[in-house]
Amino acid sequence: MSEDKLLTAEGIVKSFKDEFKTKIIDAQIKEHAAGTKKNSTTSIWMKVDSKAFKDVVKHLISLQYPHLAVASGNDLGKTIELIYHFTVNFGYNRKQINLNISVEVPKAKPEIQSICDLIPGALITEREKMEMLGVDIIGIPDKRRLFVPEDFPKGVYPWRRDETGPEKYYKNLHEVKK
Amino acid sequence: MSQTQTTKTTYHIPIGPIHPALKEPVYFEFEIAGEKIVDVDVKLGHVHRAVEWASRKRNPIQILYLAERICGICSYCHPAAFTLAVEKIADIEVPERAEYLRVIQGELERITSHLLWAGVAAHEIGFDTVLYLTWQIREKVLDLTEYLTGNRITKGIMMIGGIRRDITKDMLPRIKKDLEYYKECYDKLGKVFLNDKTVKMRSQDAGILTKDEAMKLCAVGPTTRASGVKKDVRVDTSYFAYGDLDIECITPEVLTGEVNGDVYDRIIQRLLEVKQAIELIEDCIDKMPSGDIVAEPKLAKLLNQLKKANGEAIGIHEAPRGEVIHYVKMDGNEAPFTWKVRAPTYNNILPWIPMLKGEQIADIPIVAASTDPCMSCTNRVGIVKDGRKYELTKEQLHKLSIAKTRRLMK
Amino acid sequence: MAKGLTKAFKRALWVYHCNSGSCNGCDIEIIAALCPRYDVERFGIKLVGSPRHADVLLVTGPVTRQMADKVKRVYEQMADPKAVICVGNCGNTGDVFYESYNLVGPINQILPVDVHVIGCPPRPEAIIMAVAKAWTKLETLEAK
Repeated sequence: MSEDKLLTAEGIVKSFKDEFKTKIIDAQIKEHAAGTKKNSTTSIWMKVDSKAFKDVVKHLISLQYPHLAVASGNDLGKTIELIYHFTVNFGYNRKQINLNISVEVPKAKPEIQSICDLIPGALITEREKMEMLGVDIIGIPDKRRLFVPEDFPKGVYPWRRDETGPEKYYKNLHEVKK
Repeated sequence: MSQTQTTKTTYHIPIGPIHPALKEPVYFEFEIAGEKIVDVDVKLGHVHRAVEWASRKRNPIQILYLAERICGICSYCHPAAFTLAVEKIADIEVPERAEYLRVIQGELERITSHLLWAGVAAHEIGFDTVLYLTWQIREKVLDLTEYLTGNRITKGIMMIGGIRRDITKDMLPRIKKDLEYYKECYDKLGKVFLNDKTVKMRSQDAGILTKDEAMKLCAVGPTTRASGVKKDVRVDTSYFAYGDLDIECITPEVLTGEVNGDVYDRIIQRLLEVKQAIELIEDCIDKMPSGDIVAEPKLAKLLNQLKKANGEAIGIHEAPRGEVIHYVKMDGNEAPFTWKVRAPTYNNILPWIPMLKGEQIADIPIVAASTDPCMSCTNRVGIVKDGRKYELTKEQLHKLSIAKTRRLMK
Repeated sequence: MAKGLTKAFKRALWVYHCNSGSCNGCDIEIIAALCPRYDVERFGIKLVGSPRHADVLLVTGPVTRQMADKVKRVYEQMADPKAVICVGNCGNTGDVFYESYNLVGPINQILPVDVHVIGCPPRPEAIIMAVAKAWTKLETLEAK
């Protein structure tokens, strides 16, 4: 791929908005500069409707095959927010764009499509979201637990802040038994 | 006499949490037919200490010390990525001298980590002499680290808004002398690793990861650069002082002219990165401007400033093993709302599967160790054959690896 | 050096290292103790690959749930007389990981510990001193 085929941040946002119109709820471009010469790095934060998520990823792959760094998650009370951190334009001097796509799913029905058939490297991070937040990822080839031990009870989700959190298993190692 | 029909079945070998190739607990299950590996399964979670959950009760400065102890080998990269994220949220402007000092500390850590890996890789092939040689050089680098920061491994030198210790003018002669010494040692190590026939025989064409697989499985760090994919956070983004320095992404074709994606390429990749790190430190010392080393020296004022911060950001840093990414979300309380840590090895686990398929059992230690996983294990291997249980201890698995070297040497 | 080692070491001490979920800092200092600068091999102390051959067990790390019974099994496989050395702050008190849902107490809740080495990570000199102290304990045990 030559340098003139690189994507720009405005170009990416425009391409997604043209394709998906209202399914893109919000898109922001932020820049951050560092060092004496003040070169900056661009980040795009996009909010996407959860039903269109897999199509959004397919569209991104058609623009350029991205690198999926990780997916992080937030427990926002009534909904669970998943944020997928992609990067594009790697390999050229300081042209990388960080693309963060966030999706909200309701806690009553926390389901989202798996992207493992498009990006096989997403397997580990999707398994982690399943066990830590209780999100049901449809179509994932491997549903086993990843970090939490197998004898940990089901239904306890360590990252959640409600009654399904791991508070009952909390142990303070500094306690001295009298 | 009738001959019974024997069907060829595959055997399952579990290599459980404590095992010889690496240094952290990780559980493998290999399916083997004869001597060749057919399928690999990896189970993680033995080092899960609930770090992200513990951060919900601590303020950002306490989290810096918690982040350092996520990994002892790359103990600088986790606080680095965390402060990058927090500084973006709280809009803290870092002084320029501090950015250069951060680069120097980061590159020094890269040199220690790659030397550690070189020793471990040589030990897996059977060259204990090279293990002692590389770790002896590493002791000298740790001496320099102790001179600059106060401790050998968990340095505690990162602070939100800058760095905690300065490099004064009287420290410079000692640093320059040490860097000259490392350059001589680099030449020596280069000869040992790259020109030795046995190292070449064991490592060439072993554990191949093609460029396509590396892209699809989102591999990071030297593992993916050795397969030809140009991913390097220092070149792709501008953070710390890397934006001012003359740095380019290294792939093995600089030395050999072609990229195969095998273990030999990864050895070349890491040695070239050591040389690059030494040159970067020299560059930084020449170009470092004068000024403050931290934006807000009083911790109470800093904590007050962070309490008012609101927003979310990511911090990406190039650790010796690959890209480290931290996601932080702050909402006006003292403790962050969310902190997500992603160490580079988690992206490098899936590439083990295509690398190990088709290899022999004796190659497991060197191939698994060639991705430089931040994990340590020594465990026993149990093989079930015809209903009888044979147990291979770490020594026997290691001896298999060495015996193969002796066979190839004949 | 600890008192009581004036008689030449009757038997070389073999050490087995077990990582129960640590950050690897202590493990690296243990291996650094074997390298030419600190060189414990001149005393005959060496790292073995199986607990059945070992006299001393070096445990690092705060014990995670997954590793708790494995560490116990390793201890039971060692032959008497044996000594346990707990290396690093994590195993002794929990250090920064003092509150968690996946950790099962400091190591002395699971195994009987003879020597505690503190530090994060402890220097190789401290680890060698700890092994010497364990040696005196083993010598007294053998004398009984």
